[in-house]
Amino acid sequence: MDPFSMWLESTRISTVMRNTTWLWPACESIHFIGLALLIGGAGYFDLRLLGFMRRVPVSAAKAFMPWAIAGFGMNFITGSLFFIMAPHMYVPSSAWWAKVFFIVVAGMNAMFFETTLGSRVMLLGPNENTPVSFKIVGGISLFAWFAVLFFGRMLPYIGTGN
Amino acid sequence: MHAWLEALQNSAFSAWVVGSDTIWAYPMILTMHTVGLGIVVGAAVVIDLRLLGVGAGIPLSEMERMFPIFWVGFTINLISGVMLFVSEAADKAAQPVFLLKLSLIALGVVVTARIRRILFGGNARATLVPPGARALAMGSLAFWAGAIVAGRLMAYLK
Repeated sequence: MDPFSMWLESTRISTVMRNTTWLWPACESIHFIGLALLIGGAGYFDLRLLGFMRRVPVSAAKAFMPWAIAGFGMNFITGSLFFIMAPHMYVPSSAWWAKVFFIVVAGMNAMFFETTLGSRVMLLGPNENTPVSFKIVGGISLFAWFAVLFFGRMLPYIGTGN
Repeated sequence: MHAWLEALQNSAFSAWVVGSDTIWAYPMILTMHTVGLGIVVGAAVVIDLRLLGVGAGIPLSEMERMFPIFWVGFTINLISGVMLFVSEAADKAAQPVFLLKLSLIALGVVVTARIRRILFGGNARATLVPPGARALAMGSLAFWAGAIVAGRLMAYLK
């Protein structure tokens, strides 16, 4: 085991949480509910950015984003708890690093949209097609979140080093 | 019944699903089941939240577009779920939390189909949230969340 994982697993908080047997299944349940909120809320907005459902004003399609962010928050917290409880499962795993990479891609993509293109959302009338820049952002977001899901679920099976 | 489940569990297909070294067997089927979960429950959540007052700026009629997406996710999970079930048929059929999961999914599907019917069935083209739709939306959210929890706990409550 790598020194960092060995140290973290020896800490009191990691040990206490690991010995709380119901905590891991409870966090998993929350993690999967959070996944559905995130994919549902963000996926809906992404589809509109891609140019689907044009009768929906782009600004209105954003209404589910607070729920997607809540889902991400649930998963960030429960994911951090998994990491604290068993870092040796994640630190050497290429699937976990790929998952983290795609979370960063999705996050930076969303921030790019908010800071540069977001103000153009309000100017877009109903029934209007979205500009190519919106389609690219929506496509990257949809792909990145499903990649996060893919590498998360495949985590026990690929790139574990054994 | 039990002999039949045993035969399924001992089939060559089952041996490939659970015994094969390739990640294209069990891990990939399991991952497809999670992709389908994100799509089916994600679509249900969007419909339910709209009925509960979130996104009031979205024309209610446009929610009709979510139902085909819901059924795509459901189909992915029906196929991947049957493959996962077959590989452990005799064990799963006797697992109470699995039967609970199936019951919650059945309730979720019935409620979602009912929402579809009161909004868009026949000549109905709802523009305002019909009475009773909010209760159905809350039921849907509870059933799908319950199905997810029961599904996760299948790994623990043998």
